[in-house]
Amino acid sequence: MLFLQLLINGIQAGALYALIAVGFSLIFGTTRIFHFAHGATFTIAAYVFYHLYAVAHLHWSIAVLASAMAAVLFGLALNRWVYIPIQKHEGSFFTVFVAAFGVSILVENLCGMVFGRSYVSVDTTLSRSVEIAHGLYVSPLSGVAIVIALLFFGGLQVFLMRTHTGMALRALSDNPELVRAYGLSPRRLSMSVFALGSLLAVPAAILSAMGSGLQPSLGEHVMLISLAASIVGGIGSLRGAACAGLVLGLAENLALAYFQPQWSEAVTFIVLFLSIIVRPSGFFGRVIAS
Amino acid sequence: MFKPLNKILHSSLVACALFAAAPAHAGDITIGADFPMSGPNATYGDIFGAGANLAAEHINADHMLDGKLAIQYEDSQALPQQGLIAMTKLVNVAKAPYVMTAFTGVSKAASTVAARTKTVAVNGGGVGPDLAELGPYFWNVIPLINAEIDTMVPYLVKERNFKRFVLIYVDDPLGQAVAKDMPTILSKVGGKMLDSMSIPVTEQQFSGIAAKVRADNPDVIYIASYGAQELQLIKQLRDNGLTQQIASYSALAIPGTLALPQAKGALYTTQHMDWSSADPVTKRFVDDYSKKYNKQPTAYVANYYNAVRLFALLAQDLEKHKQPITGENLLKARKDLKTFDMVGGKMVFNENGTVTMPIQVNEVEDQASKIVYAGK
Repeated sequence: MLFLQLLINGIQAGALYALIAVGFSLIFGTTRIFHFAHGATFTIAAYVFYHLYAVAHLHWSIAVLASAMAAVLFGLALNRWVYIPIQKHEGSFFTVFVAAFGVSILVENLCGMVFGRSYVSVDTTLSRSVEIAHGLYVSPLSGVAIVIALLFFGGLQVFLMRTHTGMALRALSDNPELVRAYGLSPRRLSMSVFALGSLLAVPAAILSAMGSGLQPSLGEHVMLISLAASIVGGIGSLRGAACAGLVLGLAENLALAYFQPQWSEAVTFIVLFLSIIVRPSGFFGRVIAS
Repeated sequence: MFKPLNKILHSSLVACALFAAAPAHAGDITIGADFPMSGPNATYGDIFGAGANLAAEHINADHMLDGKLAIQYEDSQALPQQGLIAMTKLVNVAKAPYVMTAFTGVSKAASTVAARTKTVAVNGGGVGPDLAELGPYFWNVIPLINAEIDTMVPYLVKERNFKRFVLIYVDDPLGQAVAKDMPTILSKVGGKMLDSMSIPVTEQQFSGIAAKVRADNPDVIYIASYGAQELQLIKQLRDNGLTQQIASYSALAIPGTLALPQAKGALYTTQHMDWSSADPVTKRFVDDYSKKYNKQPTAYVANYYNAVRLFALLAQDLEKHKQPITGENLLKARKDLKTFDMVGGKMVFNENGTVTMPIQVNEVEDQASKIVYAGK
């Protein structure tokens, strides 16, 4: 029964990790920008939802909408006012990374100043587990997390495969020069990528606010998972990032059946190392020719 | 890969902000504070700083010292490595003869600099038992966790008839000390340790741990963690259907605990403080703190108020005897004066730089906590 319980917990955690990782992977795979501030987007979305729903007592739909708007606006503003100017002048990968890192620290401190530095959470009955079989507890939030993850992945696939913007985004990740030759603007497309990638962080942020609660430095853990899942899944592969997120969530939880909880976080890195050794290009990444 | 860079950037930003915000003046007496001001335990820095700042305000208002007392803050992030860097800066750059530290790991790291440079380090927040053994320049104004466990465990076993314990502890010096001591104390009073689980300092997901605890089916879940992690743990244990008694130590005495509905009914120990006491030091502290923050103080606030007040009393004595304010002289003055009027009453140090105080057991209620057992 313990194994089954851990399996269910792992699927729930994995669904959230997958949602987080896909947004990061989409941005990185398409624009080659190491968007370290993806964790900050997550933090902003979570705190906006918390403040409007739990503090201001607005309807959940308004809080969700505002949270999504805040995340998208943050992503767009960061791309427009930080990444694009840096790329215009120098374009160094490391410069962009340091800028993103600085922004994430700034956001962490601003969230601390605005919303307080104490731990807060959204109190909801959705996070309370119910016994569905003897000794087996599942919270409604688990089901919500899995359904939302499936809906978002399905929606993303349809968007990327069936719409002009989606196809242009895929082309951008393959060959930016060719995109330019067809009269499309990579900069404008990168704005769409940031909007979409930031939006993908929102459901996980809201579910985390309800399930595990918030504190301003939450983004660091989010980035760790995003990075690990992107590498394990294959850089730029959305399917890979989603599968890797799920694998990491499952591995973290199932490890508890055999090891001390102390090792659960290390499991993420063990999966990462094994993946790099066995399949350096990731689950669905392209094999890099020497 | 990112953590060291993270730490450097964090401390640089905080240091720049503090430098810009609080310039020192000639004649000022500067003491240091090595507190967490960013990261998941930043809330403790706010609490500790509130007590320290109030004490400095009172000391300067009373002109207790020849110069103006200033506190220079450095960010430890509650991490030993960062705390060590902060301590080194406070001692070598700010030339602080007296530094307040917090958290067991940070305090242990800072104590090495304190011992080498003969700087007094005073802890008012960390409770690891190891803190009693860090040399003559390391003092504690808070009772250590062995005193808290010594009160809580017999209370749970004898008064509440809870005998089967599961311990969840953070993998740092504090948690390891609890994991080492608790089985011995439990066996003395007829309790039993079913399982003990260590968790990394950065862990945030606990539904798997809840499943393991449920399989153990204990009477009590004792948590030796702190800050956001401890509250996340409590929320997730309760959300995962665990109804057993939750018990912990003084780290739960933070505002976030009272705001968390899932924490209702949790028991935690703290040093005993009588906020209604008529003694002038306590009364002034409680009145001014309540006026300033519109709430009652906690033991942590009082501890760092006491830490700063202790410095002022010692420095005042040194100034009276025309002696320079150095770590060595402060230590000598502490041994000479022996007893100090502090918030909560008279404070007397043991030979190893610790203090002995009565411990009480508190229970979290709706937005408040009540004393359920006053220990000795």
